[in-house]
Amino acid sequence: MKILETIFLLILVAIIMAAGNTIGYQINFIDSLQALGILVIISIMGFLISKFPVFKKLPVILWVSVVAALVSSPIFPGHNWVVEITDNVSLLAICTPVLAYAGLAIGKDLALFKHISWRIIPVSLAVFSGTFIFAALIAQVTLHWEGII
Amino acid sequence: MEILKDYKVHLLALLVVVVCEFIGKQTFWVITVYPMLYAMIIGGAISLPKLKILKEKNMHHASSVMIVTLMLLIAKLGVAVGPKINEIFNAKLALIFQEVGHFAGTILLGLPLAMMLGMGREAVGATYSVAREPNIAIVADKYGLDSPEGRGVMAMYVCGTLYGAIWMSILASIIARLDIIHPYALAMGAGVGSGSMMAATLAPISDLYPAIAGEIKAYATAANLMSSVLGIYIYILFSLPFASFLYNVFNRFRNKKSGAK
Repeated sequence: MKILETIFLLILVAIIMAAGNTIGYQINFIDSLQALGILVIISIMGFLISKFPVFKKLPVILWVSVVAALVSSPIFPGHNWVVEITDNVSLLAICTPVLAYAGLAIGKDLALFKHISWRIIPVSLAVFSGTFIFAALIAQVTLHWEGII
Repeated sequence: MEILKDYKVHLLALLVVVVCEFIGKQTFWVITVYPMLYAMIIGGAISLPKLKILKEKNMHHASSVMIVTLMLLIAKLGVAVGPKINEIFNAKLALIFQEVGHFAGTILLGLPLAMMLGMGREAVGATYSVAREPNIAIVADKYGLDSPEGRGVMAMYVCGTLYGAIWMSILASIIARLDIIHPYALAMGAGVGSGSMMAATLAPISDLYPAIAGEIKAYATAANLMSSVLGIYIYILFSLPFASFLYNVFNRFRNKKSGAK
């Protein structure tokens, strides 16, 4: 995707998220915008890193995660400020627009879905459940073993 | 700039978000549903081809914007990691081992069921992973998308898009309420390697334990980070060959049984 378009889309979506945050979680609009502004900057940095030749091999999402973890960890001078400001936006308020856009795109996949046998439905539910439940069970045992829980 | 100018899609998204946030979260029996779920359902209803509100092109735009929104979601989750970095380093073994659960769980629960229902080699493509974009690329590379394995992975991809997030949110809501598994372990389980499914799984868990919501987000993000870094290699070197091997083993049983009849 083009760099400028992605940056503008990030800003547009951030405004929608800020509106959701204000309505659903009663945080005033300016504070919500400020929190999302920081997240937009982090996303842009991660996105730009992923455009470098060597880093291209790994997904954008990974680089965004890394930048976000860095600026919020004690080695970064303004980390307390970053964490405090971004706390103003609820994770749930960010999820709503993500799934709203996902929903708006559903129509194009429905035709494809009609061609698939019903068998895929129980199988897909087993696959999604399996990855969550098995990982959680193994984590439960190992966390216990490491003395964390 | 075509996607940015598609005002129809953006206005509809804003409208859906505003309406859903007004309704707020609701609890029925042990299941809590969040605005994000109605957003997906209302959005899906709007995009029904029968209604003719959105054209195929608008839907493709919505899908591209979704990928951009994921960056903000991951950024929000990422800023929970920094403050908890020491705790995450303490849990490094758990983080490594839970990945085994992510990769094995899909195959062990999915493949036998797929074969009992009579699926052929499609089962390999369908159950070796949660079938997100990188997984399609891996199957396309090895078998081609016109092969049975390719059809399997594509079918799963569509299922994940249509109802993966909805199902994960309901499942996580029920399992978290059972109170058998510690919320940190559940959080690691939520890092399934798909942004939207992870968010939908994480919401009910962090909502049930507000006092440790920060830690929960940090563990889930670390687990998801692990999936992104190691994922591609594990899928290529372990998951896909293992699913294929297991298919052959079960298939021998299946053939013997039908041969004896």
